[in-house]
Amino acid sequence: MSPTADVRAQILEANRQAAEALRTRFLQEKTLVVNLISSPGSGKTTLLEATLARLSGKLKTAVLVGDIATERDADRIRKLGLPAYQILTGGACHLDARQVQGALEKAGFGALDILFIENVGNLICPTSYDLGEDFKVVLLSLTEGDDKPFKYPAIFARASVALLTKVDLLGIVDFDVEAVERQIRTLNPHGEILRVSAKTGEGMEAWCRKLEHALVAKRA
Amino acid sequence: MHETSIALEILKTSETVLAQHGGSRILRVKVAVGELSAVEPELLRYAWEAVTVGGPAEGSRLEVDFLPARQFCPTCGPVARAPGAWVPLCLSCGAPLLVEGGNELDLVQVEFEVDGEKP
Ligand SMILES: [Zn+2]
Repeated sequence: MSPTADVRAQILEANRQAAEALRTRFLQEKTLVVNLISSPGSGKTTLLEATLARLSGKLKTAVLVGDIATERDADRIRKLGLPAYQILTGGACHLDARQVQGALEKAGFGALDILFIENVGNLICPTSYDLGEDFKVVLLSLTEGDDKPFKYPAIFARASVALLTKVDLLGIVDFDVEAVERQIRTLNPHGEILRVSAKTGEGMEAWCRKLEHALVAKRA
Repeated sequence: MHETSIALEILKTSETVLAQHGGSRILRVKVAVGELSAVEPELLRYAWEAVTVGGPAEGSRLEVDFLPARQFCPTCGPVARAPGAWVPLCLSCGAPLLVEGGNELDLVQVEFEVDGEKP
């Protein structure tokens, strides 16, 4: 029998420590941090554009965008005149806490009310990485099919807010909203589910109110 | 596929453990992976083969202890189900089910060889 060592260590311990350092920093700076996770094409950038437009003038916001290889999404946010910084992951399918630390140094956003982290478009990999955020938001668009929550249970169980996006397509595409909401509630009985459309503005007020309440709660 | 990043983290920690114990070669590494951890055991094993090439863990075995998440009915208790099959509502009473556990992602054990000692 060869020698064995019993370890019991979290595999993502290094990431956990970096995330903890970020959490402390965000608490000191009183910045609310929201980690947005979805598949590609679910409308994350469009939702962010609409969200930032509504919050601008009231709150100081910025966006960190994770992408495998292009600057396109950050460019869209910058066109709104808002600070955005693109993290190129060089092929990796998720952001980790050390990348966020590095990006914050370079981006030099200054004092913020809300920092949005637009994670790499992927429902699996980003789920495992704590970025020191206050909460995760999972986006599911009506064009994606209504069996996703049970196919990707981990992210739906961990995100405290699920946004059903593109609800202006309700009745046009084949998507059973109630069934999806039931699936999400099963995986996460305490999470919040919001139906939104960045196009028509439906649900956007409730979503922005949710963000403002979370910010107030963090600063209380 | 983030299994490669995760395999690299396992390797880094295992090598530290190896050095702490004065070992020369890693033979087997045991990890615990929860059903909800978003890590695919099969992909993790492939990634392990790839990331260990050329180092002290080359040729070692990655043993994955896959831990299921548990679903509970608030009134009827634990619910039996096939792995990966999520039941939204209790089949007996119709209540929405709750989920517990399955988030594990831990390094559990490292088996190694020490130079000059017979295994
Ligand atoms: Zn029941």
